Amino acid sequence: MGAQPNTLERAWTPRTLEHTPSSTDLVGNDFSLCYQCGLCTGSCRTAYAMKYTPRQVMNLLQLGRTDEAVASGSGLLCTACYSCTFRCPRGVAVTDLMAAIQRLSLAQRHADPHIRRFYQAFMRTVERHGRFHEVEFLVRYYAPNPLRLREQVSVGLTLLRKGKITLKPPKMQSQKAIAAMFRKAAQIEGRP
Amino acid sequence: MKYAYYPGCSASGTSKEAEESLQATMRYLGVELTELEDWNCCGAAMATGVSYLLSVALPARNLALAERAESDLVTGCSRCYLNLIRAVHYTQHNASVREKVNTLLAETGVQYSGKARLRHLLDVIVNDVGLDVVAERVTRPLDGLRIVPYYGCCQGMWTYAQFDSVEDPHCFDQLLATLGAQVVDYPLKTACCGGTLSMSKRSVGAKLIGDLLAAAGDADCIVTACPLCMFNLNSFQKEAGGTRGTHFNIPVLFLTQIMGLAFGLPEKALGLQRNAVPVDSLYRKIAVGAAVSSGEASASGPR
Repeated sequence: MGAQPNTLERAWTPRTLEHTPSSTDLVGNDFSLCYQCGLCTGSCRTAYAMKYTPRQVMNLLQLGRTDEAVASGSGLLCTACYSCTFRCPRGVAVTDLMAAIQRLSLAQRHADPHIRRFYQAFMRTVERHGRFHEVEFLVRYYAPNPLRLREQVSVGLTLLRKGKITLKPPKMQSQKAIAAMFRKAAQIEGRP
Repeated sequence: MKYAYYPGCSASGTSKEAEESLQATMRYLGVELTELEDWNCCGAAMATGVSYLLSVALPARNLALAERAESDLVTGCSRCYLNLIRAVHYTQHNASVREKVNTLLAETGVQYSGKARLRHLLDVIVNDVGLDVVAERVTRPLDGLRIVPYYGCCQGMWTYAQFDSVEDPHCFDQLLATLGAQVVDYPLKTACCGGTLSMSKRSVGAKLIGDLLAAAGDADCIVTACPLCMFNLNSFQKEAGGTRGTHFNIPVLFLTQIMGLAFGLPEKALGLQRNAVPVDSLYRKIAVGAAVSSGEASASGPR
């Protein structure tokens, strides 16, 4: 079951989402197809914690109230599982729209500072090494607020004890090329 | 059977046991995996929050490497699979995205044309190796074990679209039944584990994990088809219990760990000592189950 192939095909085909969108870039995107059935919200495991559910976010976009959606931080709770996109009977790329809201939130400092730093620390680590490195990530994530590190102590100790954390960062040949790719993306997307 | 293999960051680090058991069982089944040379992180669920282009280009670089190696690409991580298959579709359906992604890839000296075929590990086991072959290689049937198959969301939504029911997949159930396990009906089999929310927003992540653990009831263990799901369901049982005033202590294994057990491979080769929740209770139950089923007809009686 799930969406008809043609609607899924639609959702798989990104249209105007290539750039980090500003509020105006979003206007005219396929959220106008949304008829507010709520299947996205019903499929979303984190909707319960969002100020505006995915269906309400689609509605805010239709109403031109993008800034409210961005300020709510709802996009930051999206786990990008794509259940909503897959099921949407209208072929709306709900997950990618939530991601666009997420990018706007993170760029406009409305975001929960911890989640914001989480994204930045993760991507900075990947930019530097080409792969994820737990230790460097944790250092970056908690540097401004080391006391919060205690929330990871029990997990961290288990991982250490079971030999699953290495202090040495991963090594790949194309590290520098990956970093160049990050710079190029920022250039094309007009990010600082 | 030869494939290029993409381990991903989770299986190479915090879920090392997934990688160890995957290598051991695939070798045992005669599946030849060559690690994709110089692979990079797929961007997990983080890249989309920073850059749309990177969220497609990071996985696309790995596809381009597989294309250069003229191999099908296999991954055992559902999060990676989702990002990779998304890159396949987004570059295929949108010329402008494809062009920009290739502009980025040019910085690393590769190009992606859409030729490399992407496979999920479960797909390879069920459809290429085949359940009949798996059945032949079982030396220690998991009799007496009641197992929850947890497909995870990234699986249910994309992988099985190719060969199984999308909303109610059964291939994992069939695999576990082939190993001799009693498969537990699990209504949340394709519900999301919360991904990185367990780290970034603990209160929400722990609740999602708590729901999944509670729905497993009194099953002997949960088996996942994704190293990241396995990490989440293993590592945050205390926090998950805290969200609902209860205490969880249920072993969570990666699919090749449970396969390896049924194949009689040594525990160490399967990384079973690395699981956050100890799996010793399973050894006892397998031993008991084997003793019961080798007895007389009473084995099929009520339990």
